[in-house]
Amino acid sequence: MKAAAQYFKNIWDAVSTTAAGMRITMKYWLFEPSITVEYPDRLGKGIKAEDLAADRYRGFLGLNLSKCIGCLQCMRVCPIECIKITTERLENVRFITRFDIDQSKCMYCGLCVEACPASALVFTKRFEGACYDINELCIRHIKEAVKAAAPKSKAEGQNSENRTGRINEY
Amino acid sequence: MYSLADIIYRRMTETFGASDFLEPLFTIVSYLLPCIAILGIVSLISGALTLLERKISADIQNRIGPNRVGPFGIFQFIVDGVKLLLKEDIIPDAADKKLFRLAPYIVFSSTVLAVIVIPFGGPFIVADLNIGLLFIVVVSSLVVVGFMMSGWASNNKWALLGGIRSAAQIISYEIPVALSLLTVALITGTFSMQEIVKQQGLYPWQWFILHNPFTFIAFFIYFVSSLAEINRLPFDFPEAESELVSGYNTEYSGMRFGFFFVAEFANIFVSAALAAAVFLGGGNIGIDPYNSPLGYKLLMALVFFAKALSLCLVTIWVRWTLPRLRIDHMMSLCWKYFIPISVFCLVLTAAWLVAFKGNSVFWRIAG
Repeated sequence: MKAAAQYFKNIWDAVSTTAAGMRITMKYWLFEPSITVEYPDRLGKGIKAEDLAADRYRGFLGLNLSKCIGCLQCMRVCPIECIKITTERLENVRFITRFDIDQSKCMYCGLCVEACPASALVFTKRFEGACYDINELCIRHIKEAVKAAAPKSKAEGQNSENRTGRINEY
Repeated sequence: MYSLADIIYRRMTETFGASDFLEPLFTIVSYLLPCIAILGIVSLISGALTLLERKISADIQNRIGPNRVGPFGIFQFIVDGVKLLLKEDIIPDAADKKLFRLAPYIVFSSTVLAVIVIPFGGPFIVADLNIGLLFIVVVSSLVVVGFMMSGWASNNKWALLGGIRSAAQIISYEIPVALSLLTVALITGTFSMQEIVKQQGLYPWQWFILHNPFTFIAFFIYFVSSLAEINRLPFDFPEAESELVSGYNTEYSGMRFGFFFVAEFANIFVSAALAAAVFLGGGNIGIDPYNSPLGYKLLMALVFFAKALSLCLVTIWVRWTLPRLRIDHMMSLCWKYFIPISVFCLVLTAAWLVAFKGNSVFWRIAG
């Protein structure tokens, strides 16, 4: 008797659990929209690839030249030496003559961004680095010599945390 | 008994005049033409089903699915077919080459043979055999020969395991399929597919699925065991990817693999079409299928395709819902549940026919 009851319970279980599963998939089939992002070519109007990256994404390094004081801390802290900076002094004014970041070497550890006292060096959301020559990834942020920003006092620096200046990305 | 072949034969004798000399030619042409047409239609349907399957699976999994080739990707299956044609055809060194070459054609032809007796609504049936239902059951089990052959000839352990599994599975599930189809044959008293469709009607209460409670159960038994017969999930043991690479067709490539693929999807259509014709009234809309205007005949075909395709959708929907069973569960499901229940349905349908003089549950409405 018990075995017979088990037999019919098995049948009932098979039918009901299958129906439950089918109900769930039908819900997804008919009502749930797709969440696929057609990445390279069909992102939708006005959406750039950069917009897909999350906040605080570690993309290419970007430099805000109006803030950079030319302290060379990022260059020193970089464990793989992918940042090259040269500065020159002309009549008591410091000029940054070279600011190269080799993105093909960069391992996106973020030490340089943490080290930057003027928050001039930041991560951007740019992640599409494909190119035909690896040298194209060595990004020269300075074409001609730029005057280094004046270092701010400590108290002033803490208050001026805004990053409104234009970030030179490439 | 009218069929497409009969109609074409009569047309030809009317236009060219009946003569003993041309008679064999007429016969060959009148059977060959619908067969070629059916071959085209079946390939087209199985192609469309691959697309449908990919689209529905994408919908269920919150994806998009193919959408690049043509509007909504509707030409994807054509591109896939062309790709398969262009691929290199590799035959393994250690394979039994003759059997290896032969196997896909056996699988494919057994599928297409089954289509011959499927009534597409109205007069659209290639040959209305008076053993139609038996013919389908017999011919569709020929697939096993092809599967075993390909598994054995590949000289590959995955392929061989897949072939053996498909033999075990298809042969066991033949029995519930045949028994549940027999319940309908009991009611109709004939195996002719056109006659089975003709004895049903336009409305659901005239269909054999609602003839009595036991045919209702038999329909579901037929449907689930046909899933096993066509190697669909949750019964896709012969080609279980996670266990057997790809099962019996592991070593196949190019168009030989394409034949397996087309046969697989054509099988979905065949089993759905059989269920639609036998249990769901087929293309019957309550009008004489032979002596009615062409519009009505096409409407019948449309009704039939609507029913068959909705069953195909259910097949696909099941595939993307349920995981694969364990193989001993699959066997116990067949031998402990389906076969006893379908025998029970068969006997009780016979008892019902005796007790109620062959009337259905809804005989007052159906008149």
